[in-house]
Amino acid sequence: HDQIVSGIDWSSTSNKIVTVSHDRNSYVWSLEGGEWVPTLVILRLNRAALCVQWSPKENKFAVGSGAKTVCICYYEQENNWWVSKLIRKRHESSVTSVAWHPNNILLATTSTDGKCRVFSTFIKGVDTKDSKAGSSAESKFGEQILQLDLSYSWAFGVKWSPSGNTLAYVGHSSMIYFVDDVGPSPLAQSVAFRDLPLRDVLFISEKMVIGVGYDSNPMVFAADDTGIWSFTRYIGEKKAASSGSSYSSQFSEAFGKFYGQSKAATANDASESSKSRGGVHDNCINSIVPLSKAGSPKVMRFSTSGLDGKIAIWDLENMQEELGHQF
Amino acid sequence: MANPLRLYLACIKNTLEAAMCLQNFPCQEVERHNKPEVELKTSPELLLNPVLICLNEAEKCLIETSINSLRISLKVKQADELENILTKKFLRFLSMRAEAFQVLRRKPVQGYDISFLITNYHCEEMQKQKLIDFIVQFMEDIEKEITELKISVNTRGKLVATEFLKQFM
Repeated sequence: HDQIVSGIDWSSTSNKIVTVSHDRNSYVWSLEGGEWVPTLVILRLNRAALCVQWSPKENKFAVGSGAKTVCICYYEQENNWWVSKLIRKRHESSVTSVAWHPNNILLATTSTDGKCRVFSTFIKGVDTKDSKAGSSAESKFGEQILQLDLSYSWAFGVKWSPSGNTLAYVGHSSMIYFVDDVGPSPLAQSVAFRDLPLRDVLFISEKMVIGVGYDSNPMVFAADDTGIWSFTRYIGEKKAASSGSSYSSQFSEAFGKFYGQSKAATANDASESSKSRGGVHDNCINSIVPLSKAGSPKVMRFSTSGLDGKIAIWDLENMQEELGHQF
Repeated sequence: MANPLRLYLACIKNTLEAAMCLQNFPCQEVERHNKPEVELKTSPELLLNPVLICLNEAEKCLIETSINSLRISLKVKQADELENILTKKFLRFLSMRAEAFQVLRRKPVQGYDISFLITNYHCEEMQKQKLIDFIVQFMEDIEKEITELKISVNTRGKLVATEFLKQFM
């Protein structure tokens, strides 16, 4: 890659890493004999690629780009490379984030034009018409199922809930949007919070979401029994903690443990020279990724990485009582 | 100092805290390029509304934000002609050495005395809080500097005039 690597995703079952970069290229890395070997991806992009995610079945991946398009790539056996199909229409600005629905066909995208869209990415020969997928399997490739116009400002960080029933994304105006029953008649909720905007979100369970962003402190949002979402709390303390692994506050034991670990993968675009200070993150947190054991429905650990060059792993085991029974 | 000045600075500080949420964003118009969008203004959806904060008619501050960069333009108080000249010369001196400051812009925006350009790279290298403190400190110091310069010019003028006119006495 010649320029910064803007997106990276690791597929857990097939053990492949896909990377995309601002230089319009992308590679799929496979582990062969202890070395990571790149495979060519024909992206056909004429602007930078901004984000990437493997589909749940890991036979496709989606790339969002500054060319206002989304590329869906699948593997072509004859030539040993990954070919792409582009979703060209509809986006009026750069695509900042993509997220796959658990059924492997629907894809949600957010863009700097403030809208969140859901497309069908059914590719003949790659996807099979599954009776479980229902109506979405009959849609053509690139057909827009839904467009959500909730945000006045740029949208980032879209994610589906584990069942695929709810969609969450953030807007730059310090709002987070939740959409239930995505389909012909969605139910949307906007939650405005007090502080700086978020960059990325993660569904911990069906009813709990963690957001990270410019506040350098993860925020927890929860839905109560009637389905209304609201901001619950910050995970860490606002004040910088003393050096060491525990926070000096009333919730000290119950809070996440901090230890930094470097991931053994290809370039991390957010890393600068790391400064050693107290407190977890000094600068904006860019992304949040789950660390779950295979097969467990709930996410108990997640990691956050930020512009200060740190990667923190948070453990929610001890927080269950603090977060309440909704967990 | 006076209360309005404190409020003015506090207001600017809060606005900057909200505006300085910048992220790396490659250019949409030209491939493989990364430019500060607030300077180019090619894609209107990437720009936010500019905010103008005025202390009085003579002093104001314009903050324009975009997705990867932020431009702050200041107009400093100039009570009379002498202060006018002093401000211009002093700020020109600073702008010429803009590389040392990193966040300073070489030419002020039309209608203002001095401008700063902060990009996402600055936010990554330096702490946001410190950048904001620097700008606010700068604004406080400018006024003190100009007043000091004015006093010294006046004192020197008096001395020179006294000495010159002594020969006629």
